[in-house]
Amino acid sequence: MQLEIRLFAGLKCNNPDLPCFGQYEFNLEVPDDITIRELRGILAINPETRLIVMVNHHCEREEWVLEDNDRVGIFPPIGGG
Amino acid sequence: MDKILRIDMGGADGPKMTIEPLGEYAGLGGRAMTSVIVAKEVHPLCHPLGGENKLVFAPGMLSGTAGAMTGRLSVGCKSPLTGGIKESNAGGQAAQVLARLGYAAIILEGKPADDDIRKIYINKDGVRIEVDNGLKLLDNYPLVARLRQEYGDKAAYMTIGSAGERKLLAASIACTDPELRPTRHCGRGGVGAVMGAKGVKAIILDDAGMKMRPPNDPEKYRDANRKFVQGLRKHPVTGEGLPAYGTNILTNILNEAGGYPTYNFKQGQFSGSVKISGEAMAELEIKRGGSATHGCHRGCVIQCSGIYNDKDGHYLTKQPEYETVWSHGGHCGIDDMDTIARLDFMDDNIGVDTIDMGVTIGLAMDAGIIPFGDCEGAIRLMEEVGKGTPLGRILGCGAELTGKVYGIERVPVVKSQALPAYDPRAVQGIGVTYATTPQGADHTAGYAIATNILKCGGDVDPLKPEGQVELSRNLQIATAAIDSTGMCLFIAFAIMDQPDTFQALLDMLNTFYGMNMTGDDVVALGKKVLSVERDFNKRAGFTAQHDRLPRYFSTEPVAPHNITFKVTDEELDQVFNWQEQE
Repeated sequence: MQLEIRLFAGLKCNNPDLPCFGQYEFNLEVPDDITIRELRGILAINPETRLIVMVNHHCEREEWVLEDNDRVGIFPPIGGG
Repeated sequence: MDKILRIDMGGADGPKMTIEPLGEYAGLGGRAMTSVIVAKEVHPLCHPLGGENKLVFAPGMLSGTAGAMTGRLSVGCKSPLTGGIKESNAGGQAAQVLARLGYAAIILEGKPADDDIRKIYINKDGVRIEVDNGLKLLDNYPLVARLRQEYGDKAAYMTIGSAGERKLLAASIACTDPELRPTRHCGRGGVGAVMGAKGVKAIILDDAGMKMRPPNDPEKYRDANRKFVQGLRKHPVTGEGLPAYGTNILTNILNEAGGYPTYNFKQGQFSGSVKISGEAMAELEIKRGGSATHGCHRGCVIQCSGIYNDKDGHYLTKQPEYETVWSHGGHCGIDDMDTIARLDFMDDNIGVDTIDMGVTIGLAMDAGIIPFGDCEGAIRLMEEVGKGTPLGRILGCGAELTGKVYGIERVPVVKSQALPAYDPRAVQGIGVTYATTPQGADHTAGYAIATNILKCGGDVDPLKPEGQVELSRNLQIATAAIDSTGMCLFIAFAIMDQPDTFQALLDMLNTFYGMNMTGDDVVALGKKVLSVERDFNKRAGFTAQHDRLPRYFSTEPVAPHNITFKVTDEELDQVFNWQEQE
């Protein structure tokens, strides 16, 4: 399945085996029914970084199962006001 | 900080000043000080621009000490914008300097019989009030430049621009930053208009010869402060995100969450958001020789501000805040960073609240005065405000008045104050705060974004009404207490997630004052402040019906979630439930 992925605030794809290596906005073909946790593994994001992950504009937990054509926004902890 | 400076601007022989002991106000600071004084001394039915209103300046409980993040200055009065009680706070140097000079509050009262412009100079030797009509209608940047020639570069300046002199309802009070730029504003509620009504153009604070306020237990205070700073540095928001990108880091996440109000709250996402995001802005600032990391006052360890240079590398303005980038940006359909920065400078210079001003320009676009996305048109409208033309005076009086003048049905205000940068339908917790805070729509009064979107201090689903009242209640209580300490509200990200950092804050208060304050006492302080403010508003004529969002937020869904505000009126009336038991 394909995902529309956007990484923010300094995050980027850290997996050198992927064509999107070093990028922060891309579409990516991934195995069906993977979870958010599995996606962050595929992108090689530091597992110790706490993430805020928006799937189709709603924050979901790491065990959330992704679907084809989902829009996924990934943020490190941020704040402001 | 053992005295209060009271100046009756309406004295028969000119301003009459007295220096008083703290009396019944002992132990108060910041918002607690301003709100308790206003509630006790100001008639709730007075005209906000009349002699019965009072303008109170108060540093926080820990301002003027060696403690980090203690530089917030509270300004309180009856608001000419909302008609209720107002506390508006800002960073900059003023709170630290005022506290070191020993003043727990300055109270301006009465109304001058003449049209003269006055400046108030305060140093270790006393207070001097002088007429200086040469300052008339100067805006903040040239005003501070002029004052620096006379009072030097060591002082802190609190000033009003032309908007304050004209008593516009969006007028702010500027506080200078460490580089003496008038960039930190008590923006909300028209406090600058009240200063203008008192005939005061500038308050100059010079703490030469004064020392930092000594703690009751210096060693333990130093230790508590060290732990507090460590806590701020280790939290990813206060230690990484805010220093690197500033508050505008929020643009992308609010847009991604579908809660970024666009084209006057018609949709929850803006196609140009990436161009005006914190990431893009920080990159541009660094490329142009500015800075993406800067503190608004000495002693700030978060450093969420920055310096924004123009294309030629010359200073244009400080790093525009998220709220400003939104109000002049997405709300108006503008995705040009230089235009937004220019408008930010004009806000600071003329002396107006960036939220009410930006929301108002968006309303002007909605009314067809200029089209959405018109950069030059937005600057032209701001120039009208600066010139004080009839149109400029209308715009400078904020969103509600402009909406009425131009017959606009959808005007995003609560208690006449413009909604900030989060759509209350997509982030329902902040809707509860907007509706119920005694201050009028104000995100800082109970920043539910933290838990709804940023997942600090827990996780409450932003799209559902469940849990939002309790969330907003707890945040409003905590905020009222933090606003009284002089601490920057951004410490909340760390103290909500890290109990040891919250304990360090308590230890700072306790070791400074020789108290034994607990978490329960902090809650009690926050409740007391809110109860005092609610009581003032009740006496000023406010009812439960004023604790509501504009009706359209409950009837018109917003994309992409296609959702309305779902918290019921009955639930909103439970936010301050402890008052029923008082």
